[in-house]
Amino acid sequence: MSSQQKAQLTLEQHEEATRLALWGGQLLLQYGAESQLVETLTHRLGTALGCDWMDLAVSHNAIVLTSVSGPRYLTKTRRIVDRGINMTTVSEICRLVVMVEKGLKDANEVRKKLRQLSDKQFHYNRWLMILMVGLSCACFARLQGGDWPVFGVTFVASAVAMFVRQELHHRGYHLLMNWVLSAAAATSVAALAPAFSLGNKPELAMAASVLLLVPGFPLMNAISDMVKGHVNVGIARWTWASMMVLSVALGILLAMNLTGVWGWL
Amino acid sequence: MELLITLLDDAFFSAIPAIGFAMLFNVPKKALAYCGAAAAIAHSLRTLLISFGMSVELGSFLVSVLVGVLAFHWAKKKLVPEQVFTVAAIIPMIPGKFAFATMVGLVQLNIDGAVSPWLLGDVIDNGLKTLFILGALSVGLAIPQLFLERSKPVV
Repeated sequence: MSSQQKAQLTLEQHEEATRLALWGGQLLLQYGAESQLVETLTHRLGTALGCDWMDLAVSHNAIVLTSVSGPRYLTKTRRIVDRGINMTTVSEICRLVVMVEKGLKDANEVRKKLRQLSDKQFHYNRWLMILMVGLSCACFARLQGGDWPVFGVTFVASAVAMFVRQELHHRGYHLLMNWVLSAAAATSVAALAPAFSLGNKPELAMAASVLLLVPGFPLMNAISDMVKGHVNVGIARWTWASMMVLSVALGILLAMNLTGVWGWL
Repeated sequence: MELLITLLDDAFFSAIPAIGFAMLFNVPKKALAYCGAAAAIAHSLRTLLISFGMSVELGSFLVSVLVGVLAFHWAKKKLVPEQVFTVAAIIPMIPGKFAFATMVGLVQLNIDGAVSPWLLGDVIDNGLKTLFILGALSVGLAIPQLFLERSKPVV
């Protein structure tokens, strides 16, 4: 494509550039970047580090990369494990790529930065998260026309669910299991509103309190991947997001059976 | 006047969840305010459009194009991916309730033994709403990028 002449890298440099670009791509995909972004940024990182060209095959649980320098090709694969969404990590890598392109960082600094990003992620304080998520779901209830009692019940129910979600995540439960139990916790607490006829629309508390479990990011990523041509990754993400939604539905049904409050039907 | 108050109320109560969910996605601190602002503008504008009789789907599409344009510029300025702003900003408009209602109905259809027409109708209703609103939001966000950043001329 470009006709610029690059000096061929030594084998060591070439291996290092390939490894770093793949590492960056792996982190991007693990922390929730869409495929188009992963492909572009990995390509840019590799070429900025001196390779002539990078070709990347993105799939849901692995990335394969072939890099070219002069007549030499190198191909590597790395596994992708879903680590949840972390936009700070994704932004940091994006900035890193731009800095390498401008010649402000070399391979050594890139390696240090990637190591640092892999070892420790930025997270908000967990109690602050419980407060904010509780408030968020309560605001959803408010937006749908709920009054202050509904707001209050939704706040408590989602805060409890967020606490359950954090605890189960911390103990390494499977994500879908976590989603079932968190949804059940939210629904059980929110069922107090219809049970005691609190507020103007008691059922709204049940509907709004589980909204913290909506897989918004995977769903949006799924569709935008498919729109931008990464149909296979998009379908995989869509299926995974659907399973999360199904898990929430099962949790809701579980709680409705236990409490006997049928707010959803 | 009354409409203005409704819209301000709407803007305020949609900015909070956008910021809350942005934190859930570990969006950098400096970008949180942008997510909240985009969500407030988008959600209140959609409420306005719906009050003029526009459908939820078309309204969602139009305002998500707006969010996409805003995010496109912010992303260029701050050197971060657009997704940092876009997803949190449209979170208040994601049809989560419809999605869950679809699945709950689907499971219930099976449990009940006999497929009841009204429950089936509900499931199809909610399912289609989920699909089309999600599609409208997601494609809307992609529109600015697809138009402003075509890598090659069409002809």
